[in-house]
Amino acid sequence: MKTFFQNPRVQRSGRTALILLLIIVMTGPEGSGTQPTAGFTGSFGNHMSFFGLFYPQRWVVFLLLTLIVVGLTSLVKMAHRWWIERQRAGNNAVARVAKTLAATKQRARHRSTRLSLYAVALAFALYFPHLVTDQSWQTLVVQDVLVYLLLALGLNVVTGFAGLLDLGYVAFYAIGAYTTAWVTGSLPTPPPFGVHWNTFVAIPVAIVFAMLCGVLLGIPTLRLRGDYLAIVTLGFGEIVYLFINNSYGITGGSTGTNQIPFLSFHLGPIKYLWGLIPEPYYYLTLAFVVIFLLAFSSLEHSRVGRSWVAIREDEVAAESLGIHPLKYKVMAFAIGAASAGFAGVVTASQTLFVTPPTFTISFSINILVLVIFGGMGSIFGVVLGGLVVQGFVAYLTHSPPSIYNAADLYMYLGALLVVMMIYRPAGLFPSRRRRREVSQVEAGTAPDTLQVEIGAHRVQEDV
Amino acid sequence: MSYFSSHFATLGHEFWGLLVGGIANGFIYAMVAIGYTMVYGVLRLINFAHSEVFMTGAFASFFLLKFLVGNSTPNAFESVVYLIAAVVIGGVVGALVALLLERVAYRPLRRRNAPKLAYLISAIGASYFLYNFVGKEFGRINLSIDAPYTNNTVFTIFGATVQTYYIVIFFVGVTMLVALDRLVATSKLGRGIRAVAQDAETASLMGVNIDRTIALTFMLGGFLGGVAGFLYSIPVGAVYGMGFTPALKAFSAAVLGGIGNLRGAVLGGLILGVVESLSVAFVSGAYIDVVAFGVLVLVLLVRPTGILGERLGRSA
Amino acid sequence: MKFRLNKTVAAVSSSALLLMAVPAIGFATASSAASKPTFTIGYEGPLSGGNAQLGINMKWGVELAIQDANATGKLPFKLQAAWFDDQGSSTLSPAAAQAAVANKSLVAVVGPAFSGATRSAEPFYVAANIATVSPSATAAALTTGKVKNNFMRVVYGDDVQGAADARFLVVNRHNKKIEVIGDGSFYGAGLAAVVAADAKTYGAKVTTESYPESSSCPPGTAPTSQYTALATQIKTSNPGAVFYGGYYCDFGLLLGALHSAGYKGAIMSGDGSESTSLISGTSPKTAANGVFLSAAGGGSGGNFTGALESQFLKISGGVTSATALYAPQAYDATNAIVRALLKVSTKVPVSKIRASLIPALHTVRFSGVTGTIAFQSDGNLAGTGAGQIDYYQVKNGKIVQFGHN
Repeated sequence: MKTFFQNPRVQRSGRTALILLLIIVMTGPEGSGTQPTAGFTGSFGNHMSFFGLFYPQRWVVFLLLTLIVVGLTSLVKMAHRWWIERQRAGNNAVARVAKTLAATKQRARHRSTRLSLYAVALAFALYFPHLVTDQSWQTLVVQDVLVYLLLALGLNVVTGFAGLLDLGYVAFYAIGAYTTAWVTGSLPTPPPFGVHWNTFVAIPVAIVFAMLCGVLLGIPTLRLRGDYLAIVTLGFGEIVYLFINNSYGITGGSTGTNQIPFLSFHLGPIKYLWGLIPEPYYYLTLAFVVIFLLAFSSLEHSRVGRSWVAIREDEVAAESLGIHPLKYKVMAFAIGAASAGFAGVVTASQTLFVTPPTFTISFSINILVLVIFGGMGSIFGVVLGGLVVQGFVAYLTHSPPSIYNAADLYMYLGALLVVMMIYRPAGLFPSRRRRREVSQVEAGTAPDTLQVEIGAHRVQEDV
Repeated sequence: MSYFSSHFATLGHEFWGLLVGGIANGFIYAMVAIGYTMVYGVLRLINFAHSEVFMTGAFASFFLLKFLVGNSTPNAFESVVYLIAAVVIGGVVGALVALLLERVAYRPLRRRNAPKLAYLISAIGASYFLYNFVGKEFGRINLSIDAPYTNNTVFTIFGATVQTYYIVIFFVGVTMLVALDRLVATSKLGRGIRAVAQDAETASLMGVNIDRTIALTFMLGGFLGGVAGFLYSIPVGAVYGMGFTPALKAFSAAVLGGIGNLRGAVLGGLILGVVESLSVAFVSGAYIDVVAFGVLVLVLLVRPTGILGERLGRSA
Repeated sequence: MKFRLNKTVAAVSSSALLLMAVPAIGFATASSAASKPTFTIGYEGPLSGGNAQLGINMKWGVELAIQDANATGKLPFKLQAAWFDDQGSSTLSPAAAQAAVANKSLVAVVGPAFSGATRSAEPFYVAANIATVSPSATAAALTTGKVKNNFMRVVYGDDVQGAADARFLVVNRHNKKIEVIGDGSFYGAGLAAVVAADAKTYGAKVTTESYPESSSCPPGTAPTSQYTALATQIKTSNPGAVFYGGYYCDFGLLLGALHSAGYKGAIMSGDGSESTSLISGTSPKTAANGVFLSAAGGGSGGNFTGALESQFLKISGGVTSATALYAPQAYDATNAIVRALLKVSTKVPVSKIRASLIPALHTVRFSGVTGTIAFQSDGNLAGTGAGQIDYYQVKNGKIVQFGHN
């Protein structure tokens, strides 16, 4: 009996069954305190459509879906094996196709190919609003995809490049949004110089403010490492949240800010008021996404970027090479905060009100999911991961399928984090360097610099 | 100057009441902090998902008490039996959830010798999954606990009333903490835990089953966390997101006392509870969480080893 | 036991795939009245999250009204509903409003349900000239000083409720010392402010406190220590009455803390707390006993009766309108929109209909389920000055109405 359970195939099937059960319940109906079993029984017993073909009970649907998925996977596996075998045999159609593919892949690494790919992507992004004309979709793309992308890019600088897990990153986003409200005179605090500035003025101010706060928060906290830093940033994030939620006289407290004006131009004869149409917001945000993309990727390969890598891989060694760790870490904090500051402006100016519940820790976790999913430290990965995850979230928000409840979003994101950490800790599209770091740590050939260190004076004691 | 004098006057007026409340909260923090400190001791990592152990413990007791008490008014004997039953079920479910966490979110990573940060991220994921899952299955509104006793004033001390609730917390808390202390100090399991905390490799050479010890450490911490969740939920009810704030405070308490140190966790919990409670005289109650997080940040920056330093390895 | 599982599974699943490939035969619905245009009435409110039940009640009311209107067969158009979920949160409501605005056939909106959500959603509705008729958003500031307001409501504002609550506590109950606590939300803080101001004019000594709702209670972080400390303070200062402006979730926490602290005075809250969830969410449940509550409008005649009720039961799956708080109000709000639609020309583009509906709604007057429905220029229900506020008290775990102002 014991050997039966130790059989890897049995274990694997058991695990699949358990995961399936979990998914059935996760996508099932909701229960309540008075009917605690309703969610579970409904998850199996309720009926649901199977591709509109028939209307069986949920467990049947899930069983069939699993069969299809398992079947497809084995088909793909079989095809792959066949492909490899034929390729090994050589001198046939498959081998020739494989050769061409390999050559294409080689060429894709080439700078010019990559650049043209980027150009195509950019062209697509520019054309996008004409492709998807539904305004509610466009709003979602700005608020749920591009804004998150900006934040993920910024967090990637902190967490990916410099290796600092920042769980209070949302604070910078809040600072950006509240600065916008302040500059435009929508807070109880009088605006700078008593003038209700145009919202465009808020863009540079918010970015600079967020960066300043990055420095201010960074200097005391960044002496800590690893998970201690994570917890302290979490604490700081909570403090910022509690502050904006409670300071009625300064931020408007939990009621939120006053109405923030729409973005508007007013330069001599040119007048343009941005109203409800999301398109201009889309282009503005897209422009800044591109700017931050370019800036961050050039940073990655600069002296600063290399210093970050050095600190991330081995702080002590980096210090001995004359790199000042604190300086570069604070720099990462500040630079990462910049894009969050701008994201705050976009949110504030498009949703017209800023309220504290936007800035809870959960939001930081959401951004973290994007960075982890795509691949920490890889700009390409983060962008792709952000597009995939947030695109899907936007789709779910726009037209939620019957098995999805908006309140369950973080349940799925949490599960995604665990799954990623177990199966792809370096993310789906990691940078090569990062992948090597993770595997080196796992093989024990590199120090785990992310290891916690409780200050310098760790007490050594004997039994 | 007058600001402080007037606030000290408030403090003088309410001191004993706040102190009693603070000590009660302190016991809860201490019991949760123990979970953080023990896991930190053996694995050197922050079990971020401990907050959900706390929460599930409260839910387990909620359902049990709903079944046992319902709308009845239990007599004295029933009260005691129900209370013990609720404590046990809260603890057992807490321990099981902690075990599950270890198996699902940590062990696969441990097998691979993953970087430390991966554990934290995995734990964050597990925490978010768990609490939203509970929210989905048991509703997202506050569920009031059918307390097994009637909350009366038992006695008055310097004008501060001490209710049944505080007595319950005190008894359960002291029993749990003393029992745990003895268990870790004297039993074979406790020796194993201390050995792993000291040096996992050597311990395994000496015949300590590391996997088993780690699992049991999680369960012990989970038991106390689950019980704490139940105690915490008596006056406020159970709700799916109830774990986050108190658990973060308990973590602050663990750091304050010196993470890795059992008695430090208790000391830290009590100090934090009292400080937090007394601070109400000076800051608005709405800012009370800031006090706890402020303590966390300050301790980590000024004296990261906490009050008692790290010494789980010793016969603490 | 070595068999090629993979191949078997592959065979089974490919046949399942084939099955899937069989195109579903289209269930073409008979399009009989193709000439009639179809308009959408939106509903914005909480349909998921911690306040979902309140929103679902209203959804039933809207469904019933639309079903009714279509069933008469006399309308020159067909109506359908569209649901915009804001979870009752002011953070999510701009997105919900933007989605509603973007709906090409949407003519007007029932809702938003919550005051804070209304406040952050209104700029979008204003910009798009969309009339919103709320069944439940009562914050006074939503209508103060507005002219030809696009926002209207079928319930009385909190200025009426707050005045009635203050009078009840000070004049009827002779409390000379009152502690007023607001939850910092747009609704709760507003109501608390009205109560505090009016209690002062009645001659009571008023202290005010602001305690922000626990990072919006539904997401669930419940900082007990916050209310424990507050309760200790209240016990010490021992006011004759405590008034709480806010929602049931936090109010329940406060009640539990006050009970633990041993506070024995009167406790009152407004319509945000008037929910059975208040009792199930207070620990211990007995702590809610004796608490006074107030709610605007309604009254004994506020529920569906006869055929309407049986239709409602079908929609709600057996929940009576007496328990489905705000369902009758939502029904009336929807009917107001339907009546206004009948007054305007619907042969023009939707954007024009939207704009013309606002003045039309201001001229609507009919006798609804909850009373006479007509709007003042600022959007308040007509006759607000003499608005009826019902008083309730929790007795043995039940909310019992015992009178009105």
